[in-house]
Amino acid sequence: MQPGINIIQQVIIRFKFYKKEEFKYLSHLDIVRILCRALNRAGFNVAYSSGYNPKPKIRFSAPTPLGIESFAEYGEVTLNDNIDGNEFKERINKELNNKMQVVEAKKLSGKTDSFMNEIAVNLYTFALDVASSTKPLLEKFYGSIWEGLIEKSDFMGSIYRYEMLPSKESSNIVFLKIYGYAKIFKEKNNDFFKFNNFYLFLKECLKEYRICIGNVKKEESFALDGNGIKAMQI
Amino acid sequence: MKEIKILNFDMLEKLLEGIEKPGRYINTEIGVRSKNPRVEENGGFDSKILMALVFPDIYEVGMSNLGIQILYDIVNKYENFTAERVFSPWIDFEKKLREEKIKIFSLENRIFLDCFDIVGFTVQHELLYTNILNMLDLGGINIYSKQRDERSPIICAGGPAAVNPQPISKFMDFFVIGDGEEIIIHILQVLKVYKESRKEKGWFLKEISRLDGVYVPEFYKFYYYPDGRVKKIEPEKKIKKAVIKNLDEFKIVSNPVIPNIKTIHDRFIVEIMRGCSRGCRFCQAGFIYRPVRKRNVESLVRQSVEGLKNTGYDEISFLSLSSSDYGEIEQLIRDTISLYHSSQTVRLSISLPSLRLDSFNLKLMELIQTGRKTGLTFAPEAGSQRMRDIINKNIKESEMIETIKMAFDEGWEKIKLYFMIGLPFESEDDVREITELIERIIAAAREKLPRKKLSRLKINVSINAFCPKPFTPFQWISQDHPENLQMKFNYILKNVPKRYVDIKWVDPYKSMIECALSRGNEFVCDVIEYAWRGGAKFDNWSDFFNFNIWEESFKRAGLDAGFFTTAGFSEDEILPWDVIDIGVNKKFLLKEYDKSKKCAAGYKYNTAGYNKI
Repeated sequence: MQPGINIIQQVIIRFKFYKKEEFKYLSHLDIVRILCRALNRAGFNVAYSSGYNPKPKIRFSAPTPLGIESFAEYGEVTLNDNIDGNEFKERINKELNNKMQVVEAKKLSGKTDSFMNEIAVNLYTFALDVASSTKPLLEKFYGSIWEGLIEKSDFMGSIYRYEMLPSKESSNIVFLKIYGYAKIFKEKNNDFFKFNNFYLFLKECLKEYRICIGNVKKEESFALDGNGIKAMQI
Repeated sequence: MKEIKILNFDMLEKLLEGIEKPGRYINTEIGVRSKNPRVEENGGFDSKILMALVFPDIYEVGMSNLGIQILYDIVNKYENFTAERVFSPWIDFEKKLREEKIKIFSLENRIFLDCFDIVGFTVQHELLYTNILNMLDLGGINIYSKQRDERSPIICAGGPAAVNPQPISKFMDFFVIGDGEEIIIHILQVLKVYKESRKEKGWFLKEISRLDGVYVPEFYKFYYYPDGRVKKIEPEKKIKKAVIKNLDEFKIVSNPVIPNIKTIHDRFIVEIMRGCSRGCRFCQAGFIYRPVRKRNVESLVRQSVEGLKNTGYDEISFLSLSSSDYGEIEQLIRDTISLYHSSQTVRLSISLPSLRLDSFNLKLMELIQTGRKTGLTFAPEAGSQRMRDIINKNIKESEMIETIKMAFDEGWEKIKLYFMIGLPFESEDDVREITELIERIIAAAREKLPRKKLSRLKINVSINAFCPKPFTPFQWISQDHPENLQMKFNYILKNVPKRYVDIKWVDPYKSMIECALSRGNEFVCDVIEYAWRGGAKFDNWSDFFNFNIWEESFKRAGLDAGFFTTAGFSEDEILPWDVIDIGVNKKFLLKEYDKSKKCAAGYKYNTAGYNKI
């Protein structure tokens, strides 16, 4: 090999993908393994770390709890090929099941923060399964959640937005959307809004009002933007 | 026409709530090839033969088995046939299914087990027998062949723990003995005629019984002496094992189903050779998989690399019973690595299970080693040369110590050793020599390793109780009593230097049950049923094995487990598995047994250890 000719150009591709239906039953580590094998099948030259046990240079956003569909999963991989986001997306999607597909991919320029630092808050949605005749009951239920939130989370009026939206398909189902404000979690070290803790809290409320939920989804991730939050960009 | 019932996704979601590792029960893997009833022409599954390939253990274990991948690949190549996989649910999911009164279903299209035309169990070892009954029951299928009517699927079994069909003969409509590749298609073709012409089950069984390798229990009658020994088998004609002569006629499975969740052996598996010519007298696989057939090295290299590309795996396992006996093993490794790296930059790791380590093969290990040098495995099986002669394990201590010294020189630090106790003609001295051999290995480590590395030294010793199996030269032998085995193990545990040694031991009562099942006759069927009804399942998992249940079940069936274990069989009696011709005749096995007796007598023990007379 002649020196100087084979300088490998490394690119970092950041991508957003979903895992839905059956794929929500796969753990974070399963998803990582599935993606690594798909990268191999697609013929990408994944860069490896140096050292005794070289590992592929790939990282992912924080795990989504098992059993929950997600439309906001992020990954970043270093490749030894000079390709752009579109080509990446096209080639990798052919190697993935249609229940887990990359929706967007971009070549990164320069150094970036890890997702862990960038992603401040995730939006989860739940479908409430109650009869439409129980509207007063629902209002009481929402009221109780609001109070609970303020009491338990200790963040008073800092909830960014709090919405209840009727679903399009059925009037019996109402989506509850809660946007939290990430900075506050960090500063006050508030564990309340970690998914599992919040889910426990919500379950208690549900039990009290005998309401069932289903269709838990991770819909979007947000990053901090000044005093507010904005949808995560890849 | 039977209606094919399918579990819908909503219901599955409800069932999976709170279930551990739900990924075991979903089907979204790459490589799935069973037909989709929703896109098939000619009215979906009506014109197809539906086969359930059942592995009576959990997904992670079953998906590591090459046999099920081979059969899945072959059956699904045929347009008229479709095969789907079924694994045993774990305890939590079984509980949920029973609570909700939902039958077990296949992974692919979630078809309930009793809607299949044929259900085939792959049986890897005897301690899975209870799981078979459990799965039939969970599938809403009567466990007894005689009590199943024409609407029930045909139930069959194959695999190494079915070479003696007797202990599960009452549960199966038929057995497949030997290589499954060719025969499975012949059977399904007959099944198609049977299904379309609406003939009787008896007709189907009669037709397939003409094939080599098919054993139909109801066509055979066993007569017994009052003490339980076999007097006569009718008819006398034995069932010949199915053998494929040329492995290369069947391509390796280069697009296997790739599991989504982590399995036991999560890598690309390639069988390089079937059968083993070593002739270790304790090893059942060494006899039942004969003759030795190897794949051509060039096509192996090509197909292996193709498979790695198809699957995206970066680890390959070259499978055989003794990979060092594959003549071109070094070429296979070198060529596979270089062909793979001509197009891939990912580092390929290679594993060679069952590699017999000597100075030559140590170089192979260096070749395939990626990253840190981890462990080397040696299987001397016995401590003394006398015992290794008896069992025909052709390994010399001096050679082994030399290899280990060389390995320490090369930077290897971990050693794993496999031994057996309770071997035929074993004396206290043979057991003591196990501890002495371990000590000599530690001495070699002291000589070779610098102090810092020596302090890190770990020798993992695994001790197994010998379990005499059908179709081996030791098939007649009386198994050592569990109490004796425990004493021998305690002796070893007391006498090995614990500082460097981690020692593992298998429950001798488990080995006893394994032996009783493997050498069982048709009456053992009742024992298995009672044990299963008493709660026995996953008996190979130490947490679940319950000797009391088995003891009770033998008692309830009016049998003595000792009859099949410690009592042994006499050389001139008819054995329950004599209905099968495994390809190695009884005369040969007897000759090998005689040789081992001569080895036993040919040594004298004195202060310096065993010496040949």
